[in-house]
Amino acid sequence: MSSWKRFLARLANFLAPPQKDERLNEEIDQHIALQTAEFLRAGIPPAEARRQALLKFGAVEAIKEDYRAERGLLSLDTLLQDLRFALRMLRKSPGFTAVVILTLALAIGANSAIFSFVYGVLLAPLPYRNASRLVVLNETTPRVGLVSVSYPNFLDWRAQSRSFSQMAYVEQMSFNLAGPGVSRPENIQGDSVSPDFLSLIGVRPFLGRDFQPSEAQPGAPRVLLLSHRLWESHFAADPNVVGRSITLDGNVFVIVGVLPPDYRSLDKMDVMLPIGVWATNNPNAASRSDRGDSTVVGLLAPGCSFAQARAEMQGIAARLAKEYPAANDQFGVRLRPIRGAFVGNLQTEILVLFAAVLFVLLIASANVANLFLVRGAARGKEIALRIAVGASRSRIVRQLLTESFVLAFLGGALGLAFALGGIRLITRLMPHDVLAGATIALNGAVLLFTAGVVLLAALVFGIVPALHSAKWDVQAELKEGGRTVGAGASQNRLRAILAVAEISLALVLLAGAGLMLRSLYRLINVDPGFQPHRVLTMEMYLSSERYSRDPAVLSFWSQVLDGVRALPGVESAALGTNLPLTESHGRTDITIEGMALPKPGSFPHPDVHTITPGYVRTLGMVLQRGRAFTEDDNASAPLVALVNEKLARQYWPSQDPIGKRFMWGRFDPSSPNPPKWVTVVGVVDDTKMYGLANPSRLEVYDPLSQDVNRDMDLVVKSRLDSSSLTAEIRGVVASVDKDEPIFAIATMNEILSDDVASPRLTLLLLGLFSALALILAALGIYGVISYSVAQRTHEIGVRLTLGAQPVDVLRMVLSQGGKIALAGIVVGIVAAFVLTRLMSSLLFSVSAGDPATFAAVAALLALVAVFACYLPARRAMRVDPMVALRYE
Amino acid sequence: MKQKKDVMQGTLALMILKTLDVLGPLHGYGIARRIEQISRDLLAVNQGTLYPVLLKLEQEGAIASEWGASDNNRKARFYRLTKDGRKLLHAETRNWEQTAAIIGRFFEVKAGDLP
Repeated sequence: MSSWKRFLARLANFLAPPQKDERLNEEIDQHIALQTAEFLRAGIPPAEARRQALLKFGAVEAIKEDYRAERGLLSLDTLLQDLRFALRMLRKSPGFTAVVILTLALAIGANSAIFSFVYGVLLAPLPYRNASRLVVLNETTPRVGLVSVSYPNFLDWRAQSRSFSQMAYVEQMSFNLAGPGVSRPENIQGDSVSPDFLSLIGVRPFLGRDFQPSEAQPGAPRVLLLSHRLWESHFAADPNVVGRSITLDGNVFVIVGVLPPDYRSLDKMDVMLPIGVWATNNPNAASRSDRGDSTVVGLLAPGCSFAQARAEMQGIAARLAKEYPAANDQFGVRLRPIRGAFVGNLQTEILVLFAAVLFVLLIASANVANLFLVRGAARGKEIALRIAVGASRSRIVRQLLTESFVLAFLGGALGLAFALGGIRLITRLMPHDVLAGATIALNGAVLLFTAGVVLLAALVFGIVPALHSAKWDVQAELKEGGRTVGAGASQNRLRAILAVAEISLALVLLAGAGLMLRSLYRLINVDPGFQPHRVLTMEMYLSSERYSRDPAVLSFWSQVLDGVRALPGVESAALGTNLPLTESHGRTDITIEGMALPKPGSFPHPDVHTITPGYVRTLGMVLQRGRAFTEDDNASAPLVALVNEKLARQYWPSQDPIGKRFMWGRFDPSSPNPPKWVTVVGVVDDTKMYGLANPSRLEVYDPLSQDVNRDMDLVVKSRLDSSSLTAEIRGVVASVDKDEPIFAIATMNEILSDDVASPRLTLLLLGLFSALALILAALGIYGVISYSVAQRTHEIGVRLTLGAQPVDVLRMVLSQGGKIALAGIVVGIVAAFVLTRLMSSLLFSVSAGDPATFAAVAALLALVAVFACYLPARRAMRVDPMVALRYE
Repeated sequence: MKQKKDVMQGTLALMILKTLDVLGPLHGYGIARRIEQISRDLLAVNQGTLYPVLLKLEQEGAIASEWGASDNNRKARFYRLTKDGRKLLHAETRNWEQTAAIIGRFFEVKAGDLP
């Protein structure tokens, strides 16, 4: 009861306008006056009487402190006071304050920026209600790896599995969007999905209706949902869009709804349609061996774990492989939680960078702690004085901690500004699509994290010096001419340990950056198998009814090629499919003439490029043997092909592959039809299809006129810049067919550069962070040595007087720094050896423990450390013994 | 360290209450003198520590204070016991006596006395 009253009184006092200590002052005055009067009566002289009275009363400031603490709410009241004092102290030493705030801002800013990616990519909830129970399923084959799922296999999976309460098929398609009301034709992406797909993942349309079960059947009416983005860009966010129509590939689709704005898909998606539309008149839908461009998404049944589901699905896939060997031999299944499918390879990179920035933060904190220790030494007298007049030690610690927190807070505020700039820069440097719709921003979670980092930093760099300062020996400190020698020994040890820690952390970062650098250097020196310079590429897809017959298709392609080749400045132009290093691919089984027939899953399975004459020359590929295609390799001529070096070596080792034959598909001895043999007329270099870091695969090239294709890439080598060439080509295509869009426009250099964008960005950031770490660590060891030299000026003076040579002094100082550097480097190498293993999946043909890299970064760090020590050592050499001794 | 201070403060508070109970309204110096006389040296060098305790008791409602004139005709703040304070004093006195009795018995017991 009374404590409650007391709290109310304190609260009232705290909220009231700030009270001066008037009442207490008056009471104290009165008290002293009465006591003095008493002493006077006892016959003590006036001056002595007052002195005695004051002595008897005790430490006035300490009592005032207790009184104030009792009056208001101690914590908040003194906090404000501490805060004011801290700000005053920081203003008094602007250099120190600026260095500390800048150091912290860089470290905290880097942390916030990287954490915004950690959050956006790895932590932010996916916008599906059932996200935690969603699993992405793919087929796998040892020849390729992860592949799409054939529709009949999916139907069997769904029918046989018990671990999934629902399972849906998602087929990626692309469409040409043209027709009335469309100013410029374009190519858009669509997902054909099982009708229960949206309800399975837990998403409801933003407008309109979901799909209906009947829309799974072939012959389903052409309906679709718009992505929120397409709704805004092409329909001006019309709230009455439901019922309007859109023309894709020349077919009219009725819009039945709009997807929510935060909908995320694994790949770009502009429209969503029911799987029945895809299955209509589509032989792929019934073919077990046709694995278009699809994935399957499953919803785990209640109480069923991921591992159970995986075990069950592997059993089902094994049964299907036995049951349908022609389609499924050696095909398995792979399950991934949906988060994993979204994150992909990004996880390691983000976590490595996150670890790196945490290291930078630790180094920065150690550095600031060091600065605080130096300043604490300089403030020893002030602190001792405050203890002497009655400040409690806990009060001193609190005061010093308040200063740390103020600095950390200011550093954090500036750091957020850095983070904002950092996020913009990083997202711009990121290869497009890699984020898969993740939102990267300074949101609440990132701000909360930043607050945590600020607190952590303030504690790390504040608590050690604060406790140290409060341990001050008041007597020694206040003695006449008191130097800080007494506190020196343990202080210097602490500061040396901090410097060692900084150097070892910096070494780990440098080792990581060094490994990335070597890896990237090797990666960009990989021969991609083509010459990317001055080659522009773009895609066209003849999807409308008008091009249902081959002659129309071939006529379109030849008109476009003729038009482009006629453009001034164009050196050569050609068409091809599945350009290197793009996502597109087309693979098929072939049978080599005379080969022993393998099991269905083990036939040669090359990537196929359908090309026109001029392709090999335009891409600058090397024709090793034989000839390239000519205009004479047409539909009525014998079937011909080019193969890559790898295929030739593997299937015709030590033979001339020219004139050898193969057939498309698997040879079936029981078939009544004779095989259609294709003759190899040339051998070209291997090209990198699936990333520079991955090995080349088998490749076959066939002529477009013998294998008509509606989806082709145009490749043009020219002296023109790509934007004006693009405009010219757009004109050529429009003159042939104004409804045909050109899309996926990129130079081969851009495609090549995109392929290494991810490791390049990782290297850039890691390099930046380790440079920061190196500078901070150098400053750290410089601070330790130069402080120690300043402390030992007297001793050095004595040594010089007694006959020591300056070079001896230099050796002494350098060896002190050398010990710190050596300890840091040894600890760092051990730590780096353990930690760099975690990033080995990011490295290309460099081992995580690469001795050359480790030796180089250790040498670099040693060099920097020696230099950092040399500056104070030089100062020590020039100590004038007379000056040094006279000081004492 | 902290506990010792708390015990000291508690003791001091009890002494203040008892002083005011016996002598009626008094100013701070008067209370200090009285405690000094009885306890000899408890406040010999630290009379000032009285004031935070006075404030605490006042904020708890055990005592009240008002300005008045002291012996030398200077303004002084006089403290008096409130009704709540009297109750608190009785409760605390009983408490204290109990504690003292228990502790006392402990000090009297010798090893041989135990069964």
